[in-house]
Amino acid sequence: MKVETIELPKKYHGAVEHWRRHNFKDYELLMDDWEKYFPTDEKFCLCAKMEVGTPDVIQIGEQKGEKKRIKPDELTENQAMHLLAIIKAQASTEFGSIQQHSGTLDRAMDDQDRAWVMRVMAEELRHGYQMLHLLLSEDWSHVSGGITGEQMVEEILSMTTGSHVLDSFNLDYDSFVDNVTFAAIIDRVGKYQLTMQKVCAYKPMADSMPPMLREEAFHLAAGVIPMRRWAQKAAQGDPLISMHMMQDSLNKWVPRGLEMFGDECGGHTNLKYGFKDLSNRAAVEQYYVAITKMTRDIYARFLRARFPDYSPEKIETTLRELESTRGTHHGVAFADLLRVPDKRFFRRKGEHAFLMVGIDGETFEDAEQYLHYLAKHLNDGYIASRDMRNYADCLRKVAAGEMTRDQAVKAMPKLKRVGGSCPCSRSVRWVMEEANGEQQTVAVRNH
Amino acid sequence: MPEVTSSAKVRPLDELDIAGIVRIDERITGSYKPDLWEQRVMYYLRRDPLASQVAEVDGKVVGFMLADVRAGEFGLEEPGGWLERFGIDPDFRGRDLGRALFDAITAHFRSRGVTSISTLVDQNDKSLTGFLGSIGFRPSALQALEIPL
Ligand SMILES: CC(C)(COP(=O)(O)OP(=O)(O)OC[C@H]1O[C@@H](n2cnc3c(N)ncnc32)[C@H](O)[C@@H]1OP(=O)(O)O)[C@@H](O)C(=O)NCCC(=O)NCCS
Ligand SMILES: [Fe+2]
Ligand SMILES: [Fe+2]
Repeated sequence: MKVETIELPKKYHGAVEHWRRHNFKDYELLMDDWEKYFPTDEKFCLCAKMEVGTPDVIQIGEQKGEKKRIKPDELTENQAMHLLAIIKAQASTEFGSIQQHSGTLDRAMDDQDRAWVMRVMAEELRHGYQMLHLLLSEDWSHVSGGITGEQMVEEILSMTTGSHVLDSFNLDYDSFVDNVTFAAIIDRVGKYQLTMQKVCAYKPMADSMPPMLREEAFHLAAGVIPMRRWAQKAAQGDPLISMHMMQDSLNKWVPRGLEMFGDECGGHTNLKYGFKDLSNRAAVEQYYVAITKMTRDIYARFLRARFPDYSPEKIETTLRELESTRGTHHGVAFADLLRVPDKRFFRRKGEHAFLMVGIDGETFEDAEQYLHYLAKHLNDGYIASRDMRNYADCLRKVAAGEMTRDQAVKAMPKLKRVGGSCPCSRSVRWVMEEANGEQQTVAVRNH
Repeated sequence: MPEVTSSAKVRPLDELDIAGIVRIDERITGSYKPDLWEQRVMYYLRRDPLASQVAEVDGKVVGFMLADVRAGEFGLEEPGGWLERFGIDPDFRGRDLGRALFDAITAHFRSRGVTSISTLVDQNDKSLTGFLGSIGFRPSALQALEIPL
């Protein structure tokens, strides 16, 4: 295990630092407090890290057995275009999550949870930096439609919540519960993606994965451990955290996490090109098993705190009994059980898009009834968001037969921020991109 | 030498193993300590997530071994591997799982260029000293000392 570290050319390194000053104001604080929260851990380094000694030969796909590609022009044009889109989307998610985390960071109840999230943010910054390194260290101009590396960097650093490539990174957090749930649920998708990309036929991409994955292990723990502790507090009657709050947050993020794997029927291009080693469906299945285990463990922690005299075996039996009878056990109801929503719940992409299915698999016929159900199972802040309104509009049209599910998937309008490559710029215009590609201004903000 | 159970798998520790470790420790020591293990697992995951290992049989965690590389502690300049806590579910002992976990840790330490592994053990615990001796640990010149206060 050997790692080579690389710093971006000064101009770009400076651009990331500048972005960081606007979007991650507590960074300096984290650096100052590093020893306090992470004693004897290696210091944080804003740099690209490349694993040394990874396989030289393509492990999967049509070019299996050939030498891995080390320059974009050694890939076919289609491959290069496809990979460029993956790298840009990956970069956008890394920077996007920092913006999301910073919104509610100050609402952390606990200093250690807060420090953990700040370290997650710093490492996401490094992941974004890593992707910029992949964009800038080689020439992609033959597949970028004439857009230079510099312009790509500018585009990525100018995105804000609402304009990112993947939906999960366009949703604001409503409370610190979201910071933690996001790390447990959405960073976990990241872990799967990075693991699949360890085989990537483009060697610089493959070499980027192991160091990122090692950091991701911490991100998942920074999500799961606070959730486990909250479950214990909730069981002990702490009025400030409840299983309901955690469940609502799971309901918000799990559907988006499932969609981040791409359409359940797809992913074969990545296999063919040798960029990933699992199809979307195979990956999403594994992910679903993992998050199910995670929530069950958290719930068992809750039950054990409620019934301290029970043995681990008795806790397991109680859990099974609640799951099968859907009844109650000494005041604990099945409805209070923390659980992973059904795969079809609240979906807007993929094979289950715009089906009306509840958390436990119950189906709905009427859009209004389903929206009322959602309103009960998502937190208030999120219910009142533009994202929910857009979803509700599409759902109503699908239910009324004015739109097919397919059209609705494509019609979910995306908020895009245009103008101003950095928050320093004076005014920002928000536009809605319609299905036909036309843009409509929805808000103008002057700083 | 007994065979490693055919369905046994050794892999790096992750955050979803906490419940399994808490359970094994409770079987060994008789006490339930989720806070302790959450804190220890976090420590190891954030420092070197590939060093610590768990053993799974039929998808269930039945053993764990926590380890990391430390430098500069106790005046030891050279980075050295440290073995901290480990445990095998009593129902799964004697199947070479302890040894398999240790082999995986050793392989990882080698890939990091580490040249020795240390641990501390209670000399009165014959089971632990027996196991550690069997996998190759020998007394070191470095001695643990203490003063009761
Ligand atoms: C010690 C322990 C890890 C051994 O696990 P295991 O999977 O049964 O061990 P293995 O089958 O891999 O055995 C490896 C070697 O150790 C030896 N060994 C194992 N247990 C032993 C014991 N109790 N006494 C003497 N030697 C022992 C085996 O004979 C074998 O040697 P060999 O290959 O030369 O025959 C397990 O018994 C355990 O978890 N004990 C409790 C640990 C504890 O107290 N943890 C909490 C504090 S950190
Ligand atoms: Fe990341
Ligand atoms: Fe992450």
